[in-house]
Amino acid sequence: MRRIALLFVPLFTVPLAAAIAQQHTAAPPAPPAAAPAVPHDSVRGAIRSIDVRSRTVEVTAGVGYALRVVALQIPASVSITNRHGSQPDVIALGQLKLGDVVRAQFGGKAAPFVVYTIERLGRMTTGVDSTP
Amino acid sequence: MTRHTLIIALALAAAAACKRPPPKPQPGDPLPGLTAAQRAQFDSGRAVFESTFTAPTGLGPLFNASGCAECHESPVAGGVGDEVERHAAVFHPDRPGFVCDQLAAVGGPVFQDSVTAALHAALGIDREALPPGVTTVAARTTPDIFGFGLLDAVPDSVILSYADPDDKNGDGIMGRPNRFVDGRIGRFGRKAFVPTLREFNDGAFQVEVGITNPSVPEEGTVTGRPLPPGTDPAPDPELNAHSLQLADAFVRFLAPPPPLKQSREATHGRDVFMQVGCAGCHVPVLRTGDNAIAALSHQEVAAYTDLLLHDMGEGLADICFGLATPSEFRTEPLMGLRLSTHFLHDGRAATPEQAIDLHGGEATRSRDLFRSLPAADRAALLLFLKTL
Repeated sequence: MRRIALLFVPLFTVPLAAAIAQQHTAAPPAPPAAAPAVPHDSVRGAIRSIDVRSRTVEVTAGVGYALRVVALQIPASVSITNRHGSQPDVIALGQLKLGDVVRAQFGGKAAPFVVYTIERLGRMTTGVDSTP
Repeated sequence: MTRHTLIIALALAAAAACKRPPPKPQPGDPLPGLTAAQRAQFDSGRAVFESTFTAPTGLGPLFNASGCAECHESPVAGGVGDEVERHAAVFHPDRPGFVCDQLAAVGGPVFQDSVTAALHAALGIDREALPPGVTTVAARTTPDIFGFGLLDAVPDSVILSYADPDDKNGDGIMGRPNRFVDGRIGRFGRKAFVPTLREFNDGAFQVEVGITNPSVPEEGTVTGRPLPPGTDPAPDPELNAHSLQLADAFVRFLAPPPPLKQSREATHGRDVFMQVGCAGCHVPVLRTGDNAIAALSHQEVAAYTDLLLHDMGEGLADICFGLATPSEFRTEPLMGLRLSTHFLHDGRAATPEQAIDLHGGEATRSRDLFRSLPAADRAALLLFLKTL
């Protein structure tokens, strides 16, 4: 009776161990918390809100009347390039204003998306390429 | 002798045929001078424009029409329509840099009036609700889009040349450009918000018909909420790049309706039009710039607009849009005016005379001059407008 029971043990334990091993092999390794993802999208539009504390901005963009709002999180390590002046320079997040036109590359799975590059191009009121 | 007579007759007929000017394009016709390939695009694009979409082919779930030609329908595809739709925005004059919230985060600025059966079943709604706090809703009629390819080909520099935001010439007419959210100069739409025809068309597929496409690959929201699962079964994009490009070609190559031959009275009316200052905003002719399409390059278009924003007075004010304040509107092109049955951006005027009467703001002086004209001059001006 005892020998029979011992013979059955591998019948259950071996497949179970194999399944666990397979699960571990199939599951993708969890990315480190700070691992950068690749930017998957870009946006060019006007800033409609700024939260300096959480380092997030909302940008209105779109095509024609199909407008959308993209929420972006700007890591402290990302420089904000100001291209509105005669020479490009780096500005602080607190220097961005509502109505500034920015171009950003971002990644991530859900809003707020993580910004990889961001440039201030001008202001909606005065334009980017030509002025009234 | 008979043979000679026949030869002479044939030669005369051939000469007459050569001298005859080409027929003027009628509403719905393509621009003259298109290549065979462009003409083929125009014809194929008309089929896309006239398509009727259904839920299985991508319609909705929120929409205003089941296809472009459902609204742009009279007298032919590309013409005017009797549909009136809802736009909304919130004006914050005290918020520099963000004075106009076009409600993009909550389904705006266009709020659709129809839903598919699936969305109705899921949410029990018949149209998209306005978000809380919206106090002003704008009604927008369907304009004709004849000649819009030529308007697209007018350089920004031409538009800016008419701008006088500080009224430096002291004529009471200012005019300033609107700008899209990325800073480019706008020209399409009743508030001149959209910079290019292509973007207007691509956006309209999604906003008006609920058809996603390579330019706008995602559906809109239902007043800011995502679509319930299963309500949008067609795979995105619901219109492919080729069909999108063809539809754009159809719109781009639509010829403007040529002005009708003017009677003596109508010609006098044109003079009156100039005298009372209408042409200060309704600039009779714009010129296109360099363009890869010869039919659009360096052409004159009798658009009767400057494509700029003007203050039209509080009586007409509705919503803000981009930089446009509630009372600012783009000068409505008058080309094709004879095809319209309702006038002004929301169709509130039943006749051109009523429309003139409702002008205010920068147009007050011209309106008052019109009102004070002798009846014969007023009639002549109105007759002139009917030739456009």
